[in-house]
Amino acid sequence: MDLSLTPEQEMLKTAVRSFVHQEYPKETLLQIASPTEISPEEPWEQLTKTGWLGILIPTEYGGEGGSFTDAGVLFEELGRGPVPGPHISSAVVAALTLLEGATEEQKNEWLPRIASGEVRMVAAITEEEFGWLESDVQVTAEQTGGRLTLNGSKAYVFDGETATHLMCAVRSKNTNDVGLVIVPADSVGITIRHLPGFAWNQCAIDMEDVAADSTNVLGEELTGGWTALERASLKAIPVISAYQVGGSQAVYELSVDYSRTRHQFGTPIGRFQRVQDQIINLLNALDAARWTAYEALWKLDIGRDADDSVHLAKTVASEGYYEACNFAHEVHAGVGSMTEYGLTLHTTASRTLYNYLGDPKLHRRRLADALGL
Amino acid sequence: MDFEPQYTPEQEEFRQEVKSWMKENMPPGIVHPADPIDLTEEQYQLRREFGRRLGAKGWLWSTASPEYGGGGLDVDHAVVLEEEAEAAGLTIPPFYDSGGRLGGASIVVWGSEEQKKFFLPPIFTGEVRTWQLLSEPEAGSDLANVKSTAVKDGDDYIINGQKVYVGSSLGCDYMWTLTVTDTEAKRHENLGWFMIPSTLPGITVQPMDLLISGGESGAGSGVKNTVFFDNVRVPAFNLIGGHNEGWKVATTHLELEHGTGGKISRNPVVDRLFDYCRTTNRRGQPITKDEDAREKLIDVHIEQEIVRLFQLRNYWMRHSGISTTYEGPQASYMRKTLGLKMSRHILDILGPAALTFDPELGASEGHMEAHSRAGIVAIHPGGTTDIQKVIMSRRIGIGREVKEKAGALG
Ligand SMILES: Cc1cc2nc3c(=O)[nH]c(=O)nc-3n(C[C@H](O)[C@H](O)[C@H](O)COP(=O)(O)OP(=O)(O)OC[C@H]3O[C@@H](n4cnc5c(N)ncnc54)[C@H](O)[C@@H]3O)c2cc1C
Repeated sequence: MDLSLTPEQEMLKTAVRSFVHQEYPKETLLQIASPTEISPEEPWEQLTKTGWLGILIPTEYGGEGGSFTDAGVLFEELGRGPVPGPHISSAVVAALTLLEGATEEQKNEWLPRIASGEVRMVAAITEEEFGWLESDVQVTAEQTGGRLTLNGSKAYVFDGETATHLMCAVRSKNTNDVGLVIVPADSVGITIRHLPGFAWNQCAIDMEDVAADSTNVLGEELTGGWTALERASLKAIPVISAYQVGGSQAVYELSVDYSRTRHQFGTPIGRFQRVQDQIINLLNALDAARWTAYEALWKLDIGRDADDSVHLAKTVASEGYYEACNFAHEVHAGVGSMTEYGLTLHTTASRTLYNYLGDPKLHRRRLADALGL
Repeated sequence: MDFEPQYTPEQEEFRQEVKSWMKENMPPGIVHPADPIDLTEEQYQLRREFGRRLGAKGWLWSTASPEYGGGGLDVDHAVVLEEEAEAAGLTIPPFYDSGGRLGGASIVVWGSEEQKKFFLPPIFTGEVRTWQLLSEPEAGSDLANVKSTAVKDGDDYIINGQKVYVGSSLGCDYMWTLTVTDTEAKRHENLGWFMIPSTLPGITVQPMDLLISGGESGAGSGVKNTVFFDNVRVPAFNLIGGHNEGWKVATTHLELEHGTGGKISRNPVVDRLFDYCRTTNRRGQPITKDEDAREKLIDVHIEQEIVRLFQLRNYWMRHSGISTTYEGPQASYMRKTLGLKMSRHILDILGPAALTFDPELGASEGHMEAHSRAGIVAIHPGGTTDIQKVIMSRRIGIGREVKEKAGALG
């Protein structure tokens, strides 16, 4: 047993941390999050140059061929920002789905460009009645010869606005099979609408007679595409959990610092047991998320059946990050609600990630199944 | 990272040795009552006998120094011993004892050479059983507020006072305790830590009537007692760590008791609950197929996994010599809150079958009923959940001016 990171992983951690510090300081993150300011392009360009977007992509497809734990370390540090995507959507979810289900030709076509950041591929799965099950997919693909025509609407798509390509879950009008089709995000017939409010980088996507051909279908045939996505999700989820761990860690550190420096009634507020309760609960949520996530990553790395650990990790990390932010708001009171303080960046991220690739309720159910209950 | 203990060929060899030794030496007929209070004298003696055999082999306190009756084994071997005992449904030691893990460990750190030679071998070989006597009517969470006194009289101390919630059924050989040695001195600088033979005149043990006695240790402690000291004359030799130096001795076992050690075993109550729900039908289907029950069971599973991982982490930290800060009390806090929550979930899932040990109606041979009580009571021993949070706060540097260090562990 050895729960420490390898020296290489420690180095990666340090490198990512200073990168985030340098390229994504709070001011930049606030600027990106602002509905009125123009997002700077520079930080993302720098990120693409690090090669980290290829962390899970095998070297033969231009990636770094890292382990799942390596990816966990990387995304935990990005989560501390929280550095906005589409890194998870493209380099993790889309890349893993391609690895699970694409033809050799498709892998060669897409993976190197995802690794280099030239392509930002985002999976568009959910629709108005929000759900991650195959039966929830209603966008249609009509197949005529080698041509496909897509119609319908995707909703609550995470990172969709920043995508160059969409990996759409569609249902065949001809066979009722559900599969994945890759189309350029600027295809004729696609309109993307930003979802305003507390949503984090979410959009709705309308598709009207969007044209594609069979080479755009993941794995050539629609059938099999959904299974590839499900298999990929089981690997992507602990990496997302690690991102949530990073967010929780940042929020914990903010809260500890604040409770030591903010004085009321002549004493640091950290001396009040009610305040301590909030921070201890936050720490417990953080550590629970951390160890469930890294155990799942470890199981994936050694090729052991990880299903129960994966559903456990996502449940604990989603609930943990959500609660961590709430505890932090209790500790900070007024200042925590001020946009410029930065806590709300996490609060906002925690809400959207709560549902991403399945909410805790879904993962609890899947966990019960995985345990054979 | 690697979350799995790796066993060397040498450990596997040792495991075979332990297995066959246990087969020969474990007395037959050991049973595990749901409520520790049902442990009979005969059962207790079976466990003591097994403890002595383990002790003679150096396997009762296997990591303690052989010089003092321990086994001198490293942690890799201790793990195998613990696992093999667990496979047989037992803990090591196989009976309630506060000697080796807490009291003895403190003597190892703070005792003089002569004291170590005298007190430790009987503990580490299982010849004696030892109780921990800390709490008093006026000193619970605030242990440093003990009121019992030890007054120096020639080569002895005269001890007076009252201890509560201590010990077990069926007596002991030694009691270790904390008393005031100087009524004038400052807090924390006024205490003495004593090893007291239980046969000394003036000691009265009176069983207390509690909801249950805890149920935390697999071995079960039976009843908890009030112990009165009435002019008990104790040789000064039995004072460990020095006059007015008792608090520093206490920090050693308090830290150990706050769960820093960590362990890698599972919670048997959780396993029993799941087994029961898998194998018991209600309205024609296993309880596990009921939607509400599933939700509750998953809740229990999730929290149990968190507790397991925290204990695993602590275990790893201890064995790799990484110093801990808040991790011990954190694991204890989570374990205790899970226990309490579980008694609610058990009631939700099983209904009134969770509240009786009636042989026909009580779920899981009364184990669910016992846990329904134990979940409540077990949150107090070794520091309440509030106190675990108080300690965590100091350790992460928010409760006090300076970050508190974890207690000295030798
Ligand atoms: C089953 C059982 C077995 C036990 N076994 C032993 C044993 O073997 N040996 C032994 O010596 N003792 C033993 N005890 C005693 C145990 O250690 C005490 O019960 C415990 O430390 C709490 O003390 P108390 O009961 O006096 O509660 P109190 O200390 O009076 O606490 C009352 C309430 O006040 C809270 N509180 C107290 N101080 C603070 C603070 N600073 N901040 C916030 N909240 C606070 C507590 O959390 C609790 O909610 C046992 C108790 C039980 C129930």
